[in-house]
Amino acid sequence: MALPFLESMAPSILSSAVAGETAATGITASGAPLRSAFIFVPNGVNQAHWVPKDVGPAFALPNILEPLANVQDDLLVLSGLANARARHNSDGGGGHARGTTTFLTGVQCVKTYGKDIRAGISVDQLMAASQTGQETRLDSLVLTCESGSDAGNCDTGYSCAYNSNVSWRTPTTPAGKELDPRRVFDRLFAGHDPAERAESRALRLRRKKSVLDFVLDDSLRLRRSVAENDRRKIDEYFNNVRDIERRLERSARHPAQSVAEPAGLPAREGEDLDWEDRLRLMLDLLVLAFQTDSTRVASLMLAPAASERIYHRIGMKDGHHWLSHHQHTAHKLELYRQINRYHVSLIARFLERLKSTPEGDGTLLDNCMILYGCGIGDGNGHTHFDLPVLLAGRGGGTIDSGRHVRFARESSLCNLFVSMLNRMGVSADRFGDSTGAMSELTL
Amino acid sequence: MGDMDLLKRTHLPVFLISVFAIATPVIAERDQAAGKTSLDAVVPFFESHCVACHGTRRPKAGLNLETELATLHKRTAPGLENREFWEKVVLMLRERQMPPEAEEQPSETDRQKIISWITEELDRFDCSGPMDPGRSVMRRLNRTEYNNTVRDLLGVDMTPADNFPPDEISEGFDTIGDVLTVPPILAERYLESAKVLVDRALELDAKRETKQILVCQPSAGSDARDCARRILEPFVTRAYRRPPRAAELDRLLGFVKSELGSGQGFESAIALGLQAVLSSPNFLFRVEAAPGPESAGKVAEPLNDYELATRLSYLLWSSIPDDRLLELAGRKELQTDAVLEAEVRRMLQSPRADEFVENFFGQWLQTRKLDGISRDASLFPHFDEKLRNAMKNETLLFAKAILREDRSILELLDADFTYVNEKLARHYNMTGVEGPEFRRVATEASRGGGGILTHASILTLTSNPTRTSPVKRGNWVLEQLLGTPPPPPPPDVPELEETEQAALTGSLRQRLEQHRNNPNCSICHDRIDPLGFALENFDATGAWRDFDGKFLIDPSGSLPDGTTLGGAEDLKRALVDRRDEFARCLTEKLLTYGLGREVEYYDRCAVDGIVESLSTKDYNFSRLVLGVVQSTPFRMKRGSGYEERRP
Repeated sequence: MALPFLESMAPSILSSAVAGETAATGITASGAPLRSAFIFVPNGVNQAHWVPKDVGPAFALPNILEPLANVQDDLLVLSGLANARARHNSDGGGGHARGTTTFLTGVQCVKTYGKDIRAGISVDQLMAASQTGQETRLDSLVLTCESGSDAGNCDTGYSCAYNSNVSWRTPTTPAGKELDPRRVFDRLFAGHDPAERAESRALRLRRKKSVLDFVLDDSLRLRRSVAENDRRKIDEYFNNVRDIERRLERSARHPAQSVAEPAGLPAREGEDLDWEDRLRLMLDLLVLAFQTDSTRVASLMLAPAASERIYHRIGMKDGHHWLSHHQHTAHKLELYRQINRYHVSLIARFLERLKSTPEGDGTLLDNCMILYGCGIGDGNGHTHFDLPVLLAGRGGGTIDSGRHVRFARESSLCNLFVSMLNRMGVSADRFGDSTGAMSELTL
Repeated sequence: MGDMDLLKRTHLPVFLISVFAIATPVIAERDQAAGKTSLDAVVPFFESHCVACHGTRRPKAGLNLETELATLHKRTAPGLENREFWEKVVLMLRERQMPPEAEEQPSETDRQKIISWITEELDRFDCSGPMDPGRSVMRRLNRTEYNNTVRDLLGVDMTPADNFPPDEISEGFDTIGDVLTVPPILAERYLESAKVLVDRALELDAKRETKQILVCQPSAGSDARDCARRILEPFVTRAYRRPPRAAELDRLLGFVKSELGSGQGFESAIALGLQAVLSSPNFLFRVEAAPGPESAGKVAEPLNDYELATRLSYLLWSSIPDDRLLELAGRKELQTDAVLEAEVRRMLQSPRADEFVENFFGQWLQTRKLDGISRDASLFPHFDEKLRNAMKNETLLFAKAILREDRSILELLDADFTYVNEKLARHYNMTGVEGPEFRRVATEASRGGGGILTHASILTLTSNPTRTSPVKRGNWVLEQLLGTPPPPPPPDVPELEETEQAALTGSLRQRLEQHRNNPNCSICHDRIDPLGFALENFDATGAWRDFDGKFLIDPSGSLPDGTTLGGAEDLKRALVDRRDEFARCLTEKLLTYGLGREVEYYDRCAVDGIVESLSTKDYNFSRLVLGVVQSTPFRMKRGSGYEERRP
């Protein structure tokens, strides 16, 4: 059948990115696959307790990073990086929305409530769309631990879509994010039924495929009869249904593996979960997904931009965003620091689990690149320089970790993405506002 | 920034005219015909602050004010022709991006005057020609609509959309077509839920005496295709909200037939056909056909009858049209004014209109937000889920009464009744109300009377976890009730000190007043704060109080236009006095909700018409709904190839 032009099938940046030499699709020297995860935390950090004083190896962990002591040798603290496209650049207020959407795209988003949403493809989705995404059961996992705002406009003229999404599948479509850990588990591992007979499985898949074909055909016909600006929406649905069809074919190649459910996983979808329990489960699922090579790419939002979550478990009485506007008052700065440290402690537990999972001669963490950070440096003034950025994992032996690297102020965070893309087998020489690859990842 | 940072900020309103607006227009003697005088009054501002960088010599960012001003000097009619240009200018001024920080700054008063001038000029829009109905936007069903639709279509007792990803919100509503995207996970869930729904529907159908779905079974000798048609044709008509086209039905029957051919039983093949219908974009999206060639060059053409029935039923019921609406559409009778009005009245009285209360009022008044709201337990130990739900219930029951009894929309602002149960009555210090069920009661003068402003729901959702926020409350009034949200605060405004020590130095009011000594703040906070102060006798959970800590509450204040307020009752009176602004705001909210798009400048004429008809019909609620339903943007779509008209 004749296909309409489909943005996601030919992202311009991707076509330019893959033009060069392609490395062997993100496989490490040991033969293990390389994985990337991007973990977003909103509202910036208390800078005084984030940036290590010393540069280089054997640096002393500042207060917020202390919980990372057991994995200090496996991570890089990258300070001084900037997210320049999140600056107002003549678009006025909206640092949270921009800081979030720009974080993994490096593209300044169009200021709009929705009519003409446009950002860029995010680094994780670029990886997912590349060959590396084709090698696994799912091309990526996109997770969040707090659903976006439920009413009202977000952040001085920006659509809530910009606040609630770091992963963008196309410049106009955020990747759908998953809030329910039960659902994530089922996506990864359900359907593993050794008892099902081959012919009933074949029948089930055939019926599913018939419906998909009907829908694809219907979409193309409908597309011809609607107004120009509505075609975009039909295309989006068409694309997604095609992806489901491809995944169906792919799941035949990569059947679900049988794994034990993580402790505390709700038996059903839609159950209420405390924020911390949800995050722990999401991180446990990430470990499982990477360990079983069910996906190699993931993003995770601890919460959307400007989240006002009140972290009761650590005794907070005020919202996170509100405290992040600390105005240099000692009282708020202290609470801000406690929240930052609390977040890091939860991430530390995740990194330790990756590290305690053997893979080949090393550990799972060795074959990972886990980024943790925010598109805002200091929450008080919505600054977009001096971003908090950690990179954990040795990238399959291609990263000399265990250091604090201080960059010249205003160095682009996107340089890191170029380097990560290359390691994942996507040969890009530019991404967003990058000026080149990040040579500092190795000594 | 604190309070100010938490303000709901919207982009510049299409119509910024309000008695609460900043100042009387700059232009004293406005020459309506030529607009010359007004222009002379504002030109010096641009010359001293803008043209050095945005003049002909070096038009930075490609913006040349000199040529634009020259064009204006030559204009023969009021208004700003280069709309896009001036919208950019006003945005830069409004958000204080310009003049750049390093340059000499205009006073806030001058800045706001210029903003008012540009906004007013942009607002001059000639309503005499044929009315532009605006973009019609294809919308997918949101979660609520999906659940209601499958309930009404299949008679199932399931709400599968509860597990769909949350709908994006824009303009304060979850019905805005442009942001209702279909992310991959949603597409996946559509397909899964189609299967689950069909299985359940057929299971329920099997138990029924009179089948509603499998209305026939092919017997030996009878044609399976004919039977499939009898099942699918009415089903598709309801699912797609229009009869299927012949080729469309043929394709579906062919699909079922090929399933039968592959050895499936009849019921199983039909099930797959139903699944395909529920996965089709014709079901998931509310599709309106592109205008036909016969409308070429025309500004507008009417929606077809089925499209109108669909807009109507999703507006008032958040679901598919019922059989009656479809019949009327089939007979092409829905378009007549009398039938349309009768149908609207019937629909408003139907229990299904509860959905309208829940979805429109719940989002306009923001009571939906209450679910996520908590209070500091040490300060408000009585605030729990039960109380929160009771608060929400009060407002929704009240709104429902306005709708069902076709009361005046002004009663939303001030009424002599409300709804309470025992829990809420205790919170309100009312006696004699026992039990968990809600009942209608007369409001008490001791609480400042009735109306939404003194509902605990509104007072709570506009407060902080630990204290009230007069700024949030004032802003809520400006944005939700008057449609004139204040501009965002200038950057680097020192924040209200929040430490315990600061609380000892003065009341919240005194501290906010100090804050307002800064002229950069006062220009807007003079509009915002008095509205909030008038409600200071209500604490952060909406309970009455005379003291805040050791400070006696002083709810008085005065508005920029000189109106003095002595508390909640005065505030209500002031709002009722500004009924046309309130009616305009509510009209725009309802149009936004119903059209699924932002209200644009060209909708001005339609809004004017609705507001005027309200004022001549005692502001009855049904008049508001009828005004929207009968308006050009709701009943028409643009003709093919029509280009947006520039004023």
